[in-house]
Amino acid sequence: MKILTIACVFLFIAAQLPAQKETQLPKDLPAYGPERPLSAPNVKIAKLDNGLTVWLVSEPGFPKVAFSMAVRGGLAADPSDRPGLSQMLGNTIDQGTKTLNAKQIAQQLQAAGGDLNVSPSKDSIILSIGVLSAKRDDALTVMSDLVRNATFPDAEVTLAKRNTLDQLRQQESQPSFLAGRTMAKVLFGDHPYHVTSATEQSIKASTADDLRKIYAERFRPDQVLLVAVGDFEADGMLSAVKSRFAEWKAPSTVPVTIPSATSTAPQHAIYVVPRPGSVQTTLELGSFGPVRSAEDFEAARVANAIFGGTFGSRLTRNIREDKGYTYSPFATLQTYQAAGLLITRADVRNAVTAPSLNEMLYELNRMVTTSPTEEELRTAKRFLVGIEAIQLQSRGAVSGELARLWVNGLSPDAIGAYGKKVAATTAEDVDTAAKKYFPAAKTAIVAVGEEKVVRDALAPFGLPLLSAP
Amino acid sequence: MKKLSNGLTVVVSEDHSAPTFGICVSYGIGFRLEPEGRTGFAHLFEHLMFEGTPNAPKGVLDRVIEGGGGANNGDTRYDYTEYIETAPISALDPVLWIEADRMKTLDFSTKNLDNQRNVVEEEVRVNVINQPFGLFFAIDLPGKAFDTYPNAHNFYGDFKDLDAAKIEDVKAFYEKYYTPGNAVIAVVGDVKPDDVYAKMERYFAPIPSRPTPAKPKVDEPPQKTERRSSETDKLAKVPGLAIGYRMPPHRSPDALAAAVTGELLHNGQASRLYQALVKDKQVALSVDGGVNWPLGTPFEYAGPTLMTSFIVYPPNVTEDQLVAAYDATIKDLAENGPTQQDLDRIVAKMRSDMYGNLEIPISRASALSHAVLFDGNFDSVYQLPEELSKVTAAQVKAFAAKYLVSTNRTIINRVPVGAAEKEKGAGQ
Repeated sequence: MKILTIACVFLFIAAQLPAQKETQLPKDLPAYGPERPLSAPNVKIAKLDNGLTVWLVSEPGFPKVAFSMAVRGGLAADPSDRPGLSQMLGNTIDQGTKTLNAKQIAQQLQAAGGDLNVSPSKDSIILSIGVLSAKRDDALTVMSDLVRNATFPDAEVTLAKRNTLDQLRQQESQPSFLAGRTMAKVLFGDHPYHVTSATEQSIKASTADDLRKIYAERFRPDQVLLVAVGDFEADGMLSAVKSRFAEWKAPSTVPVTIPSATSTAPQHAIYVVPRPGSVQTTLELGSFGPVRSAEDFEAARVANAIFGGTFGSRLTRNIREDKGYTYSPFATLQTYQAAGLLITRADVRNAVTAPSLNEMLYELNRMVTTSPTEEELRTAKRFLVGIEAIQLQSRGAVSGELARLWVNGLSPDAIGAYGKKVAATTAEDVDTAAKKYFPAAKTAIVAVGEEKVVRDALAPFGLPLLSAP
Repeated sequence: MKKLSNGLTVVVSEDHSAPTFGICVSYGIGFRLEPEGRTGFAHLFEHLMFEGTPNAPKGVLDRVIEGGGGANNGDTRYDYTEYIETAPISALDPVLWIEADRMKTLDFSTKNLDNQRNVVEEEVRVNVINQPFGLFFAIDLPGKAFDTYPNAHNFYGDFKDLDAAKIEDVKAFYEKYYTPGNAVIAVVGDVKPDDVYAKMERYFAPIPSRPTPAKPKVDEPPQKTERRSSETDKLAKVPGLAIGYRMPPHRSPDALAAAVTGELLHNGQASRLYQALVKDKQVALSVDGGVNWPLGTPFEYAGPTLMTSFIVYPPNVTEDQLVAAYDATIKDLAENGPTQQDLDRIVAKMRSDMYGNLEIPISRASALSHAVLFDGNFDSVYQLPEELSKVTAAQVKAFAAKYLVSTNRTIINRVPVGAAEKEKGAGQ
């Protein structure tokens, strides 16, 4: 029942002095113990004759198995007159197959102990579920049925269209959604990555046949990865997979293609998104970053951890712990197959809109103009290596991470290699990455809030104040 | 499980699947017992636990935990406040030192209080004032459903109360509630219990014991009639309805049936309410809820709580239509009970969810420490997944007939401001 959205995650963040000097550690604080490296998951790789890729990880423990199925082709592959159709597909793929109706599907998965999660992203659609080990074959049977025999019944599609439209209206009341949607349009222009969501028009226009068409194009074994992580014996699981998927045939047509790379810096301007009644301004700064497979991906991660990706980062120390402008500032690197982004965001009360943007721009440029201290570098590297181990504690997380690596064209070894590359990152690597990705002048700025407040506050920056595209 | 001489309870659970650990320090103080005139104080206080001590000034905690490759957080709930960390095992000693250090004393600084007051007020803006629906199902619903201050007040805090908080309040609250005897610490992960107990003796045993506060009565006078009200929302685009039924006390004979019923009605697409309201009758867009939702599990509460349903519905459906459809679902359950298949399914789902939670060291540490805080032992953490299958269809039926009645509930309907104009496409 983890239905609570971020609205109720009481995130409380630790603190550091904003001053340049580093905090002295207490003299009786015990030292860190010896490192025990994370052993990367032992992935057994198989490929069925029909091209289906299978990655299996046997992990003893609580009696559960996590499955992920990644299918190539997501929002970026949607027809240009049906933006966000993948999202509709995600909402309807479990609403009927040749032999089961929506209720039966939901009930059979619940009986196995799971809830299906379907995540359409720019490059893929990932189906995931965690079930009781004793029911894993039942779950696999339903999963196989969903990716092979979904029918998109007309009545269910009609209902999903209505509900997706109303969900869109709800999302449009969220400042984070508005900021992200605008940022993607600003950064990606005409590139298919500019779509973050279905539109009112595309939802109304889409039909069950549209969904059946993209389903037939993309759901084919040679474009799919199946991951299983849990307490099973690999040979037994592989036979269970074969008996349910081996008969699945790939069509002879050409699979969906990946859009080509994009990274032209946007106009350094402020895009205003009016949100009447807003008591805060949501400031989002976006520029291009590395893709997941780039040589400097790890160095950029380290730079970002120092800049705004951790609770002790420069940005958090400055605008939260020193100035109290905001509750939850953050910076993150987002990676897609053909592009990477650096996104910095903070929700700030209306009165401090201008000084907050000033500090955000300042901290970006400080990354470009000053090297990290030894302490900053050491802390950021240890944080990133440690947090990877933390994030892979659950089998569902391992399964999801493996699926995302596959979508980004990487092998399972990337999990082990990442920590080593982070640990080997030098101050020079960080400087180089910072100079490449962090200059404030390379960012586009999106400001969501009360329009007059935003325009009056941000006019003194002298940047073009544009209406959101 | 062991108790140190100063009253601090320690629980250890070994798990060698990864070279990491999770730790949870839970204190038996939450929203419910914060002083009148100081709404939101338990949570504001929690922020101040991250602001340093005389030994480890502001900044050290974060530097030690993040520099050790870990992450930390805190949560305030009705009946506890927890401080949680997870990190590679190499950081265990410094993290334990940090937790022990802030159990000894804090840096009671007005500057830090002022800073965190601002941060908390920004948090309330992000999560409540600037959000559609503004958590009304979690804040306003208990406010209407209960009559006494401990259970009914706004836990996030009125700004006038947050503004009024003084450093003396911070000291008094710490003195009274943040005592070793009022805390339970659980460590889960790549550890040996004897090693952990030895470390506990070293870091925590020197903290002097202090009197553990008595638990005041927080009972509610009985509810006699249905309570209904409505609100407007400046940010929401569609209406929402919250329904709350008062629940039986923690660990009382009906509590297990309550938990199962709450999940049967709300958990996922197979749930009764989703199937009836979103799919069959198509009068709702989404349904969330459960017992003690959204601020806890159905098994972790030490005072009055609700089974809450939060339903978002389309503007062309009326409140009465929605409530009528909801009532039909409840009536069916109260008159006919669930089938055995229904029960088996939801029990499998709940068990699977519980295992999924226990799998993660920091979550297991939370579950263990909460169980000890509420029950004096952690048996329930491992027994509940099995106990669930003892709940019978007759018990669920009887529970629904007794508790899910209109005289035991509160309903708030929340509609967008100027919904009618927006429908015409005027926009706002």
